[in-house]
Amino acid sequence: MNTKKISVKYTSEELADAYVHPSILSPAQKKEAGNQLKAARAKVQAEITAEDKLTSDILQLRFRLEDYLSNGAFNPKLKFSYFLKAYVQLLNKKRKVFAREINIDETELSQLINDHRSPSENIIIRLELHSNKAIPAIAWYKLIEKEKEHYIITNKTIRKREEKNVSNRLAVAID
Amino acid sequence: MALIKVKTREEQKVKIVPVEEEDYKALTKKRYHFSWKSFKGHANVAVYKLQIPGEDDILGVMALIDFPRESRIEISLLACSLENVGENKTYEGIAGNLIAYAGRLAVKRYGKNACLSLVPKTRLKKHYIDKYGMLDAGWQLFLEGKVLNDIILKYLL
Repeated sequence: MNTKKISVKYTSEELADAYVHPSILSPAQKKEAGNQLKAARAKVQAEITAEDKLTSDILQLRFRLEDYLSNGAFNPKLKFSYFLKAYVQLLNKKRKVFAREINIDETELSQLINDHRSPSENIIIRLELHSNKAIPAIAWYKLIEKEKEHYIITNKTIRKREEKNVSNRLAVAID
Repeated sequence: MALIKVKTREEQKVKIVPVEEEDYKALTKKRYHFSWKSFKGHANVAVYKLQIPGEDDILGVMALIDFPRESRIEISLLACSLENVGENKTYEGIAGNLIAYAGRLAVKRYGKNACLSLVPKTRLKKHYIDKYGMLDAGWQLFLEGKVLNDIILKYLL
């Protein structure tokens, strides 16, 4: 069905509800459109509130986290510690202040951020509450789980160490 | 991410994923209004489809162009499948979900500087503004800052 036919068959509202098909602009109009958009965006950015900036930042972090979790591959750079650091940074608060807000010691927060300790369930629940559910506890949990899964699959040292604790292994080989 | 089934008002969960090579056979001009095949192999255009999880049918499709230097993504084309256009449509919310998803991509890439834009047909401009809260920039409409966050929150979260 061509554009003229659908324009007759449907109302403007129905078309806008179903299609985006752009106007074809001349080179001069394109240039004008670019300048208009630039000016309009500058006005929006000048008036944007701190709350809206924070919402955008939180959404960005959440989407990066969600997409990382839904992508199967483990990335050693994108651990719990990395996302926690990003969360604290976007709040634009001193670590000491944030540690107090989730009722943990500043040293414990530094250890979490520097990947020197794993978070407890309490911590990930507190992070969910602190973000007003913008980043749910289950997302933090899945991050830790992804790290653990990678560790279990790839760690040779632990396999070697545990060999002495296993006897009478199955004779069949399935792997 | 969900649509509303018009007859029953039931919510139907959906997913939006990149179009794959074999999808172009199904994306006919008759059912999706445009020649989507023309985007095949275009490195600077990303095409996404909206589907019900577990089903092959494509309910909506959109083509996006990224302008990294401007922290902006442009909706080049968008279409619902023929049976989802007009007063007798099966589902409502297909275009809204696709637009919000494009906004999600923009915010994920560009954070607080993100912008989503389109070049509308003049007669449809008012409807995009009313329905999706788009801002008027003359030839173009756009979502940025609060209005961009709002459409993402409304449709996707």
